[in-house]
Amino acid sequence: MGSPPLFYRWSSKIIPWLGILAIIFLTLGLFWGLLIAPTDYKQGDVYRILYVHVPSAILGQSIFMFMAACGLINVVWRAKISGMMLKSAAPIGMSFTLIALVTGSVWGKPTWGTWWVWDARLTSTLILLFIYAALIGLYSSIDDKTKADRAVSILSIVGLAIIPVIKKSVDWWQTLHQPSTFTLTSSPSMSPEMYQPLLLCVIGFYLIFAFTLTLNLRNEVIDRERSKNWVKQIFVN
Amino acid sequence: MLLQGTDLQILTQPLLRFDMRSSVLDWLGIILKRDLIIAFRRSSTYITPLVFFLIVITFFPLALGPQESLLSSLAPGVIWIAALLASLLAVESIFSEDFRDGSLDDFFVSLEPSFILVFAKVMVHWLITGLPILIASSLAAIILYLPLESFVPMILSLLLGTSFMSLLGALGAALSLGKSAILSAIIVLPFSIPTLLMGTSVVTFSLNNQDYSGFLMMMGAMLAIGIPMLCLLTVEALLLNYD
Repeated sequence: MGSPPLFYRWSSKIIPWLGILAIIFLTLGLFWGLLIAPTDYKQGDVYRILYVHVPSAILGQSIFMFMAACGLINVVWRAKISGMMLKSAAPIGMSFTLIALVTGSVWGKPTWGTWWVWDARLTSTLILLFIYAALIGLYSSIDDKTKADRAVSILSIVGLAIIPVIKKSVDWWQTLHQPSTFTLTSSPSMSPEMYQPLLLCVIGFYLIFAFTLTLNLRNEVIDRERSKNWVKQIFVN
Repeated sequence: MLLQGTDLQILTQPLLRFDMRSSVLDWLGIILKRDLIIAFRRSSTYITPLVFFLIVITFFPLALGPQESLLSSLAPGVIWIAALLASLLAVESIFSEDFRDGSLDDFFVSLEPSFILVFAKVMVHWLITGLPILIASSLAAIILYLPLESFVPMILSLLLGTSFMSLLGALGAALSLGKSAILSAIIVLPFSIPTLLMGTSVVTFSLNNQDYSGFLMMMGAMLAIGIPMLCLLTVEALLLNYD
């Protein structure tokens, strides 16, 4: 799947499947989670935002890991497609991180009483958002696209190394300052009736990511290779 | 003609020395000397960050009020934020001048390791921004009523932290070479958060008479990993301009 024309042909077959699977998983997971799963004895129905919040928080982080892996491949092997992948994944990851933050504060208002708490997890998610913004800002500042890819790859490698340190230091910072008066979802273990739909939602969100990433990537490939013959052949016929 | 010839010789002398397969340390020394001479010929390079640092420090008592208890409890954070911002101020100049006048090209075509070049540039940047800030921070600590016992941890944490910031700053400068200075700051700032958190923790812990050595070790570890990794990535970033 390395070369752009090969990827283009290969991805056009896979796209409908990804879309259909994503719709199936999301419909099942959200329907189950929002309507069938039992009401939380403590939080009531408010907790159901978890079925959007948790998957998007997971995606926000794992998309960054994905990008850093792409960045490493791009820097070491100069694989063109991995640079494009990195570029196409960035806005998706940033959106998921933003969704996680917004749904989190919407959830926080009724349960904690405030929109925002300087909790370790919230803080490191906010920092992750800033790192996404830095990557996208760097990309948009460089005109030459392959150069921009490599610049962003280099920065994402730094991000990969520094994100564990950020998590750890935010944890220390959290314990250093007053322990938060609120605790994140104090119920330590979730009941399986609540957990199973969440799992479906997470898989659904991953599929949505794969789907949108492939769409973005196809656009990127066509945009960059527009002067090549294979693109002309596709669009002329 | 003759005069022109000798002039030319003086100008190319350092370049001739590059060709002799000098040891890595010689090469480091040559760049350090060259860049420090350039920096000291223009006093604004090392005075601007220093003055900026002190002005930012002065703004906090003006904005928050002069109460001693308030200021001394805020001092670690205030000093650290001012130090971070001041060390990012001159970041853009690390490579831009050499890139514009072509000396960077010469450095790269010389057969010497470019890793050393970047390392020397980082050292020079630290010497002209980090070191003045380090010295000025004692003054800032007095202004902000930081207790005397916290001076040593503050200096130690700033020593490690500003060095790491110079490394990160060099990468930001290399990535945004020829672009606006503010871009390199935006690129670098999110990655400087662990340094900020750990640096302020060191000073705050010492204020509360707690053991802060763990944070210092962590910052030292970041520096030890950062020197090889960030210098190599900076070389990679600089080479983007020579495709």
